[in-house]
Amino acid sequence: MAFAPLDPVLHNQLRLAIVSLLVGVDSADFNFLLDKTGATRGNLSVQITKLKDAGYVAVKKTFKDNYPNTRCSLSPKGLKAFESYVQAIKDYFVPAEG
Amino acid sequence: MEQELSPTESLKLIETMIGQAKSSFSRMSIYFLMWGVLLLAAMVTTYLMRDTGGSWAHGAAWGIAGVLGGIASPIIGFRQGKKEHVANPMDRVLGWIWGAFVITMLLMMFSFTGSGRNPGAAITLLTAMPTFLTGQVMRFKPLIFGGLLFWVAGVIMFFSGNDTVIVSVYCISMVFGYIVPGILLKRQEDGLRTA
Repeated sequence: MAFAPLDPVLHNQLRLAIVSLLVGVDSADFNFLLDKTGATRGNLSVQITKLKDAGYVAVKKTFKDNYPNTRCSLSPKGLKAFESYVQAIKDYFVPAEG
Repeated sequence: MEQELSPTESLKLIETMIGQAKSSFSRMSIYFLMWGVLLLAAMVTTYLMRDTGGSWAHGAAWGIAGVLGGIASPIIGFRQGKKEHVANPMDRVLGWIWGAFVITMLLMMFSFTGSGRNPGAAITLLTAMPTFLTGQVMRFKPLIFGGLLFWVAGVIMFFSGNDTVIVSVYCISMVFGYIVPGILLKRQEDGLRTA
C-alpha cells in the first residue's frame, strides 16, 4: 500500500501546531500562538510567514493600544490542506490489505 | 519545535493544540459575580423594605440593579474584547445564548408586571437555561450545578406562597448559581492566565 505524501508545509511541528490552533478558533493573535506553542518570537514569525506564503493562513496587522498586533486566521485553502494532512496521517494507521 | 514528526506525534500534537484553542474562552466570571451580587442585593433590599416605601420601593431595587448591571456589562464586554488574544466561536455562541436570554427576560418582565403578576419564579426558571448551557459549553461543573439549582429554585418559588421561603430560595440560588461559580471560574481564569 502506497502512502500519500505528506504536505511539506504542514509536516513541521511548529507550523502544524499553529494551524491546529487556528482550526479551533475564528482568529488568534501572535501572543496567543506564542503562549500556546512555546516557540520563540523569531521562529514563530518565520513559520507564520511560510504559512502565509503558502496561502494557508491570513495575517492581519493592526494596532492594539498603540502596539502592533498581528492576528492570524486559517484560510479555506489552509483548512482544506489541514483536512487532507489529517486524512493522510490517518492512512498510516490503516492496516495494509492482502 | 523543529524535529521530524512521526504520524503518532502529528496526531497527538493536533489533538493537543485543538483542545487548547477550544478551551480558550473569554473571561466570564466578572458577569456572574457582578449580576449575582446585584440581584442578591436587590432581593434582600426588597425583602427588608417590604413593609415600608410602598410598591415603588419594591421595583426600585430591581430597577437600580438592572440599570447598573445593564450599563456595566457592555462596558466590561467592550474592554475585554479589546484585550482578548483569541476569538473563539464558542464565545460567539454563548453571546447569542445570553443575548436571547436578556430579550426573553425583558419581555417576560413587561408581560408579567403589566398583567399584575410577579415575574420572579418565571425569570429564575429562565435563568437556569443559559447558566446550564454555559456550564456545558465550557465544561464547567459549578455552572451546570448552578443551572440545575435555578430550575429547582424556580419551581419552589412558583408553588410557594411564603415570602420568606421565596426570598431564601432565591438568595441561595443566586449565591450557589452565580456567585460561587463566578468565584471558582475567576480562580480558573486567573490560573490559566498565569500558567
